[in-house]
Amino acid sequence: MNPRHIRQRNIGLIALGFALVIFIMPFAYIFLMAVKTKQEAALFLFNWPSHWQLWANLVDVVQTRNYMLLLAYFNSTIITVGAVSLLVMFGAMVGYVLQRRPSGWNRLIYACILIGLMVPPAVVPTIWVLQGLGLFKTIYGMILIQVAYGLAFSVLLFRSFIGTIPRDLDEAAIIDGAKPWQIFYRVILPLLKPVTVTLIVVQAIAIFNDFTNPLYYLPGKENVTVQLTLFNFQSQFQSQYNLLFMNILLVTIPPLLVFIFFNRQIVAGMTAGAVKG
Amino acid sequence: MVSTSSVVLKNIRKSFGAVEVIKGIDLTISPGEFCVFVGPSGCGKSTLLRIIAGLEEASTGAIEIGGQDVTQAEPSSRGIAMVFQSYALYPHLTVRDNIGFGLSLAKRPKAEIAQRVGAAAEALQLTPLLDRKPKALSGGQRQRVAIGRAIVRDPKVFLFDEPLSNLDAALRAQMRIELSDLHRKLGATMIYVTHDQVEAMTMADKIVVLNGGRIEQVGSPMDLYHAPVSAFVAGFIGSPKMNLYDGASIGEACTTYGIRPEHLRLTDEGPRWIGTVRHVERLGADTVIYLNVPNLGEMVVRTDGDSNPAIGATQGVSPVAGRAFHFT
Repeated sequence: MNPRHIRQRNIGLIALGFALVIFIMPFAYIFLMAVKTKQEAALFLFNWPSHWQLWANLVDVVQTRNYMLLLAYFNSTIITVGAVSLLVMFGAMVGYVLQRRPSGWNRLIYACILIGLMVPPAVVPTIWVLQGLGLFKTIYGMILIQVAYGLAFSVLLFRSFIGTIPRDLDEAAIIDGAKPWQIFYRVILPLLKPVTVTLIVVQAIAIFNDFTNPLYYLPGKENVTVQLTLFNFQSQFQSQYNLLFMNILLVTIPPLLVFIFFNRQIVAGMTAGAVKG
Repeated sequence: MVSTSSVVLKNIRKSFGAVEVIKGIDLTISPGEFCVFVGPSGCGKSTLLRIIAGLEEASTGAIEIGGQDVTQAEPSSRGIAMVFQSYALYPHLTVRDNIGFGLSLAKRPKAEIAQRVGAAAEALQLTPLLDRKPKALSGGQRQRVAIGRAIVRDPKVFLFDEPLSNLDAALRAQMRIELSDLHRKLGATMIYVTHDQVEAMTMADKIVVLNGGRIEQVGSPMDLYHAPVSAFVAGFIGSPKMNLYDGASIGEACTTYGIRPEHLRLTDEGPRWIGTVRHVERLGADTVIYLNVPNLGEMVVRTDGDSNPAIGATQGVSPVAGRAFHFT
C-alpha cells in the first residue's frame, strides 16, 4: 500500500471513530445502565455491569403503575398515527391546491403558513382554546395540536414537490375524464410517495418523541404518553436510574426501527425533484 | 371508418389579462381532415388547440365539434383526445394502465378495458411493452403510448400538441410517416400543432398559418407553397426560407419582393444580381449558397449538389421567369 492509501484509510478510521463515539456511545451507555442493579446504576459509571438483570428490569418497567407503559404506547401510537395521517392528507391537499390553482388568496395563505412556521405557539392561550372547545385533556385535542404544529411544514414540503410534477399530467387526466378529486387521488398522490415517506418518518418520530406538548396539553393519568412515563422513576426523594434507563431504551426502540427501515426512502425523498430522473 | 366530425370555430378570442393572444379566429375543419396549425412561437397556435380541447376557456366565440356546440362542455365530454408534447404519461402506471386510465375512470367493465387496450396496443405494436412503466421506454415508444391513450378513447377529433419535438431527427421522420398512416387507417379528424414547416408540409391536408393570434392563410400545402397571400406565409413555408426584399430597393412596384432559393439560377450571362459567396452548405443532393448582394443583403440560392463555388468568389444570379412573388 502506498502512503496515500494509508493516509486515506487512517482518515476514514478516525472519522468512523468519531461517529462511533457520537452515535453509539450514548446508546451503549443507556443499554448498560438499563441492565444494572439499582445501586450500581446510581453510581453513573460507564462500566460493565457486575450483575445483569435485563429481564427483571424490563418486567419491572412494564408493570410499574399498573402497566402504565403499555397504555402510554397505545396513546402515543394513536396520537402519532392520527396526527401523521391528517398531516399527510391535508398537507398534500393544501399543497396541491396552492401549487395548481394560483389565486389572489395565495399570498395570504403563504403568509399564514410562514407564520405557522415562525411564531412559537403560546401554551396558555392554546389551553384556553382547547378548554373552550372541550378538547383539553383528550387524545383528539392532542392530535389536532400536533397537526396544527406540523401542518405548515408539510404543506411547504408537498407544495414544492408538487411543483416538480408536470402540469401536463393533470391536463392529460382531465382529458381522460378525471374529476379534480380523481386527479388528486389517482395521479398526484401516488407520485408523492417519496416525499410522503419522508414526511411520515420525520413527523412520526417527532410526534412520538414529543415530551413538552403532551406535558402541557394532555395531563391526566389515563392520557399518559411514552415520554411522560419517564417521570415514573424520577422523584425528589428516590430515583431508580436502572429502570429509568430501561424505560428510555424501550421508548427509543420504535423510532429507531422506523428510521432503520425507511432511511433509504428518507434520503430519496429529500433529494427527489432535485435532479430530473 | 371515416369520421363525420367537423370542427368549427366561430370568432374565437382569448385574452390573458390585458393581452389578447387570439384575435378572432373563424375556421372550419372538415370531417376526416388532417389539419395543421403552424406558426412561430407565441402566435397562439397551442392556445388555440387548448381552447378546442377545453383546457382553456375562450374569452368569446363558439366551438362546434361534430355539429354540437361544445363551448361550455368539459374536455372529457367533447369527444376529443390529446397527445401532449411531453407525452404526459402517468409515471406510476404501466403502459396497460396508462392506455386504459380513461376507461377505468369511466368505470367500464374490466373485460372491455382489456379488450380495447389490447386492440390499441396491437395497432401501435405496443403489445410486448404493456407491463412496463413509462421510464423503461424509449422516446418513440412513449410517443406511441401517448397515441394509444388517445386512440382507446375512440375520439371524434385527435389533437396533437407538437408531439414530435422531443424526438431526434431520424425518429421524427419515422413518426411522421406513422402518424400519416394512422390518420389514413382511422380516418379521424386530426388537428396538429407544430412550428416545424416540414411536418406541416408533409402531413397536412390543410395548413392553417397563424401569426400574432390571427389566421394568415388557410390552404393545402402546395397552395401555400405556390400562392402565399403574404410575405409572412411565403417566408414560413418552404425550406430554405424564401428570399424577401423591400420592393423599392429591388426596383419592383411592390412592397415586398420574394423569390425562393430553388427558383434562382447561378449564371454568368447577364445576371440580374451579382454577389460574393459568403457560405456554402453542401447537403449532397443540393447545395445551398449564401451570397452577399450589395444593397440587398443576403441571398440564398439552392442549386444542384455538385456545384461548389469558392468562398469569396463573385457569382451572378438570375430568377427563374414567372416564379417571383410580389406582395403589396
